[in-house]
Amino acid sequence: MNAVEIKNLSKNFGEKQAVCGLDMTVPMGAIYGFIGENGSGKSTTEKMICGLIPTSGGTIKLYGKDYKDIDVRASIGVLIESPGCFPGLTVWDNMMLQATNLSIPNAEEEVIKTLKLVRMEGAAGNKYKNCSLGMKQRVGIAMALLGNPTLLVLDEPLNGLDADGMRIMREIFLDIIKDGKRTIIVSSHLLGELQKVATHYGIIRHGKMICEMTADELDENCRTYIGLKSDELNRTKTLLGCKYSRVEEDEAGYIRVYDLTTPEEIVTYLYENGICVTELMTDKIGLEEYYIDLMKGGK
Amino acid sequence: MENMVVFENNSFGKRLKSMVKVDFRRMCKSKLFYILVVSALIMPILMTVMMTMMDGSVTVNQQTGEETVMQGPENTWQNIGTLPDGEEMGGMDVFAMCNINMMFMIVAVFTCLFISDDFRSGYAKNLFTVRAKKSDYVISKIFAGFVCGACLLIAYFIGSMLGGAMAGLSFSLGELNPINLVMCILAKICLMPVFVSIFVLISVAAKQKAWLSICGSLGGGMILFMMVSMITPLNSTFINVILCLVGGILFALGLGAASNKVLKKSSLV
Repeated sequence: MNAVEIKNLSKNFGEKQAVCGLDMTVPMGAIYGFIGENGSGKSTTEKMICGLIPTSGGTIKLYGKDYKDIDVRASIGVLIESPGCFPGLTVWDNMMLQATNLSIPNAEEEVIKTLKLVRMEGAAGNKYKNCSLGMKQRVGIAMALLGNPTLLVLDEPLNGLDADGMRIMREIFLDIIKDGKRTIIVSSHLLGELQKVATHYGIIRHGKMICEMTADELDENCRTYIGLKSDELNRTKTLLGCKYSRVEEDEAGYIRVYDLTTPEEIVTYLYENGICVTELMTDKIGLEEYYIDLMKGGK
Repeated sequence: MENMVVFENNSFGKRLKSMVKVDFRRMCKSKLFYILVVSALIMPILMTVMMTMMDGSVTVNQQTGEETVMQGPENTWQNIGTLPDGEEMGGMDVFAMCNINMMFMIVAVFTCLFISDDFRSGYAKNLFTVRAKKSDYVISKIFAGFVCGACLLIAYFIGSMLGGAMAGLSFSLGELNPINLVMCILAKICLMPVFVSIFVLISVAAKQKAWLSICGSLGGGMILFMMVSMITPLNSTFINVILCLVGGILFALGLGAASNKVLKKSSLV
């Protein structure tokens, strides 16, 4: 069963079409990385899934039921734009309000457990307005996690988190999907972080889904390259450029050769031309580069 | 079938109960609610005592030379309404405008800020994403506004009696009996949903723009404000209470449905 199944979804804001004919399938138990440029329609799609803005067309099904079904919606946790806390209330009071809203029977226990999960148990008495950006983000995630939701929709949850916070968040994500019944849709511009946890990806552009794939498929699609450094970088680049079709220099100063070849062949070729290779490696491009390539229209 | 997810049934009663609990929890934590109730309690005391102290003092218009005699209250119940056989007060009659009926307008401030806070903080999206139906939200808000309004009316009523006692005013009801007084207050309480449902409709349309909802609500409330003293006079009977109750329910249903429609058709974030 799919947790989310969207067909031909569209949303117009006056003349502007924010989402047009979007299809999306999120399998149950997945961590679905929802990627796209700013203004590509990610947040709008997420808001429609959560029933926060009316759709202009298309269908959204959550666990096979209409997305407006109250029983299904009761098991959604959401963090979109802001955590939705009252600034004048303490973190504890905000959490208790949400627990009341969800009719959680043992609310206090559940709130303590959730705050511990996001390492916020020590700040429960703080007023929400006095929390730092990272703390607010953690509170938002804690609010979304309350009541053990089967579907979590998180819009940029990693924003404002420090390195430790991101690690904690990764652990939480993996913990949530452990039983295979919970699903997370997470949009983020921190693609490196996303790649560490996502099991599925959806890439959206101009309101249309341009590609959906599993993490394994991404791995297959990501090109292998040979990266090297030499004593004469510019000459090496020119020489390799004469023989191979795609040679690029990356930010770390490595010359990358994307063609199907072997490191031995490249080293031999450069040695014959009087160039000594000082460093050599074989690697794959990451999600970030794959995404940039895709956006440029490359393969 | 191991991939099946079983969802808990969320009945209307269960949803509404949790929604109302959330609103009451918030109301109890809200400083604004207590400030308004305390103001409603203090306002009639201050007004009654001060006006009694100023009774008989003369102010002269510097340009026209016209003299105005300040007239203080003679009866405690002037804060609630005019006694049927009561004489029109001459000079500056503050109580003609500033009486218990002001609470119908003050509750607008509470309702508008209460609702705009939901949208401004983003809490509304938490509510609507997880199971809360728009209709649950509207019902709960009208109910919260109604309870706040009732508290304000009762606080003002108590304040009026305290003010009367402190100023040494008469508690005589003339040809009326205490039942009329109780019916008058009950009628006013029953009339509260009429106003609150107007304020809720304007607030859900204005969403996070509190200033817009407050201005709109005060303007909208003004249209009906003049009718309050006519519908709920001091000599109210059971009929007045029933009329106000029916009016309150009809307004709450009609305007509640309109608020629901507004929420359904508009973005909630």
